[in-house]
Amino acid sequence: MSAVSSVKAPLSTRFGNRLRGVSRLSPTATAGVIIILLFGVLALFSDLFMTHDPISSYPERILQSPSAEHWFGTDGNGMDIFSRVIYGAKFGFGIAIPAVIISVLIGVPVGLIAGYRGGLLDEVLMRIFDGLRVFPSIILALAVVAATGQSLLNVVLVLGFLDSPVFARLVRAEVLALRSSIFVESAVAAGNPTWRILFLHLLPNSIQGAMAQTAVRAAWAVRISATLAFLGVGIQAPTPEWGAMIRQGAEFMVTGQWWVAIFPGIALIFLVFGLNLFGDGIQDILDPRRRVSK
Amino acid sequence: MSLLSVSDLQTHFIFHDIDNQLREARALNKVNLTLDAGQILGIVGETGAGKSLTAQSICGLLRPPARIVGGSVLFDGQELLSLPEDELNAIRGADIAMVVQNPRSSLDPLTRIGEQLVRIHQTHSGGPLDISRQKAMEMMQAVGIPDPEGRFTAWPHELSGGMAQRVLIAMALMNEPKLLIADEPTTGLDVTVQAQILDLLKELVARFDMASMIITHDLGIVAHYCDQVAVMFAGEIIEQGTVRDVFLKPAHPYTQQLLAATPERLDLGSENQLGGQPPDLFNLPPGCLSQDRCPRATDICRTDPPMVQVAGGHTARCHFAKPASKSASKSAKPRRSKQNG
Amino acid sequence: MNFSQFIFRRTLMVIPLLVGVVFLTFMLVRVGGLDPVGLLAGPTATAEEFDMIREELGLDQPLWKQFLIYAGNVVQGDLGESWLSNRPVLEDISARSLISLELLFWGIGLGTIIGVPLGLRAAFNPNGRFDQATRIMSLLGFSIPTYWLGLVMLFVFFYLLRWAPPGMGRISLMVSPPDFVTGSYLIDSLLSANWQAAHSALTHLILPVVCLAIVSAAPIIKQTRAIALEVIASDSVRYARACGLKTKTVRDIVFRNSATPIITFVGTEITGLVGTMSLIEYVFAWGGLGQYGLNAIVRGDFTAVQGYVLTLALFSVLVFLVVDIIIAIIEPRSELN
Repeated sequence: MSAVSSVKAPLSTRFGNRLRGVSRLSPTATAGVIIILLFGVLALFSDLFMTHDPISSYPERILQSPSAEHWFGTDGNGMDIFSRVIYGAKFGFGIAIPAVIISVLIGVPVGLIAGYRGGLLDEVLMRIFDGLRVFPSIILALAVVAATGQSLLNVVLVLGFLDSPVFARLVRAEVLALRSSIFVESAVAAGNPTWRILFLHLLPNSIQGAMAQTAVRAAWAVRISATLAFLGVGIQAPTPEWGAMIRQGAEFMVTGQWWVAIFPGIALIFLVFGLNLFGDGIQDILDPRRRVSK
Repeated sequence: MSLLSVSDLQTHFIFHDIDNQLREARALNKVNLTLDAGQILGIVGETGAGKSLTAQSICGLLRPPARIVGGSVLFDGQELLSLPEDELNAIRGADIAMVVQNPRSSLDPLTRIGEQLVRIHQTHSGGPLDISRQKAMEMMQAVGIPDPEGRFTAWPHELSGGMAQRVLIAMALMNEPKLLIADEPTTGLDVTVQAQILDLLKELVARFDMASMIITHDLGIVAHYCDQVAVMFAGEIIEQGTVRDVFLKPAHPYTQQLLAATPERLDLGSENQLGGQPPDLFNLPPGCLSQDRCPRATDICRTDPPMVQVAGGHTARCHFAKPASKSASKSAKPRRSKQNG
Repeated sequence: MNFSQFIFRRTLMVIPLLVGVVFLTFMLVRVGGLDPVGLLAGPTATAEEFDMIREELGLDQPLWKQFLIYAGNVVQGDLGESWLSNRPVLEDISARSLISLELLFWGIGLGTIIGVPLGLRAAFNPNGRFDQATRIMSLLGFSIPTYWLGLVMLFVFFYLLRWAPPGMGRISLMVSPPDFVTGSYLIDSLLSANWQAAHSALTHLILPVVCLAIVSAAPIIKQTRAIALEVIASDSVRYARACGLKTKTVRDIVFRNSATPIITFVGTEITGLVGTMSLIEYVFAWGGLGQYGLNAIVRGDFTAVQGYVLTLALFSVLVFLVVDIIIAIIEPRSELN
């Protein structure tokens, strides 16, 4: 009836219990992790899974429907879609991970400083962020990438930059709340230099909300980069990126060759869905208010 | 038979934590109360002692992870704990009415107060709207709201705290309840207003011959307005009886400490007067729950203390409480160890 | 304060935002290394021609001067000329705005009508089966690329089932559009009792509208649920339960108290949904502002992009203003009442 016994179970059992506890608290997070890991494996070890070379074309096998030889069929250039879809997982992670890292690296310090210092800097930054809110993010990303040149690096940089306000705002809110707390005040009174206060005291305590968002922002980055590729901006054919593949397959949707655009889309949906599941589940676990226990 | 009879009420917090361990805490442990029409019972204790939880358990308003795991609540001859939700709902707001803390935020911000009074009357008593409206006006007058006609169309946010609390009292009275539960009715109100509200409550309880329960952390309120008192600690009632008996001749060391600290108005809601952390319900000591704070604690306190009848209708849960004897002298000071427990 | 005073004050507060928007739009298009002069001039231009074009576009001036000129022009309604269409951008945009508005209105309207009840019902039984199912559906909605969904719908409903017309435009090429009254082919043909045109317009509307509705419902479901859960945990709902009010009444209280935050949220969502709508227009060749803007961006039509982005931003600001006003009217706690 009362609390746990004082003898600790072996590490593996405790780990197993923690896993079970987490999956009980949030089956969504668990499902999300599984999906993400699956794609991660595909991305890292794509050679093991691809049946053909993703950029070799077989001109005599254009637009073949799915068969034993080509599981997902072939596209308008005679390339094997299955292998291209597998290979495309690399782009999903390759864009989303650096982009989110950049967003965090920019957004978190900005949020820390703006929240701590306050004053004019804070006002100006917040105004700029608020001003950016009236622009649809897709259009913004599109316009900037189109204007700055169409390369993979640019896409990553732009997405990373454009998403940093989200992290900045989250961290800033936490810092504002913590700024007047006792432990910060005593740190100031003890004569700690500002940078120490920011990074040793404030950072660990204000970063939780922001970290919970990373999966969701990664999902957004994957989505948007695919959208850009679909519009022909940033990544072009014959790169086996999912968005670009959908672009290629668009014209065939109305003539019946559905497999060219559908399979990359399904893969895209799955990865984004997995990231969203994970992000949603994490928020459930971390925020007790959202957790409505049975 | 009493109007309200709570026997061995047991409410626990039950959930799985992040390590998949089942956690269970005794939030209420063997709570026993009786209440009759015309009586005012004060339930007093520190924050987290289980006072509100008792009221919520009685009314069936518990939210997960809290759950009733045992006991019985007999109200007007009916066992409330086995009633289906819709029947329980019919009793709430009608036969058992509640007045809560934060009156301004408890009223529906999007409905005018007159309408809310009519609404609660219509829900339980039905009938033509004019009768409800008339009754609403009467009640507004009874609780001392000036200009009931004009105030009928007021929005909740237009009211002051004291005024809003009067509205809540009026809401409670609309269906002529048999039992009125006031959960921290004056916390957060202006000091001058507090006395007005409590005077009003006392007067109305007498006028309508209701049974009443006042939940508070303020011993002063209990002393001035209640007939009976139950002192709670860590989910248990550790002493119970008439206000006279318990306050003048406290039998439990915890009660004695409370009263010895400041003879007048003692507010348990402010910093813990006795110096010590509120007990962790998940890590309770075996036996007597207040032993960690008790100056008299000895080994025997590690076993469950019995509920000792110190006098007629006055009980205390302590090994050292003296059962009713023919001895003439009863002092407020703790007994020397020479006495048998 | 009375109504006109209120509107005046709110509008006044919006002006700095408008200035900021113009500024940001200005900066946005000049951010990158793309040289609009190069695009206009073409590969065979001489250095002289380059300079001429640069001067014509005003790009030889210092940046701050350029901004002032631009801002001045905007206020006068001059958004420059699109080099793709050779027409004033303002003209291009105004011709197409109503077209997009129709799609936006039906799409978001449908999305809200679907999303809000689902979110509410999920909140009333948290962690129940309905709630879990709705959450999955909503997260799925967040994950499906809009353009892909449009393509799939075209495949299923046009190619496979032959129910929908080809995804081109707002009305069949064989049918002559109705006379202009509201700009909406559907409404105008109904008004003039032109049933053939109405039918054609309707069938062309359905797929893009459903597409937009599905994508907009996802965030609405999620946020409605979150808002409703908070309201359910609030003091007023707890007290309502303590009063023994009937479940239906309590749900009604929850709904009414959720309305304001939901409306606010939908208002902020519209900004993002305008972007999504543009993609849908692109896929269905809707001929609206979205398609125009996307084409302009992809083809580097400098002035058109500027005008397009500015219009979207101004529209968002307008939406925020309208939402503010609506809430002030319905909320008894607002300063208006």
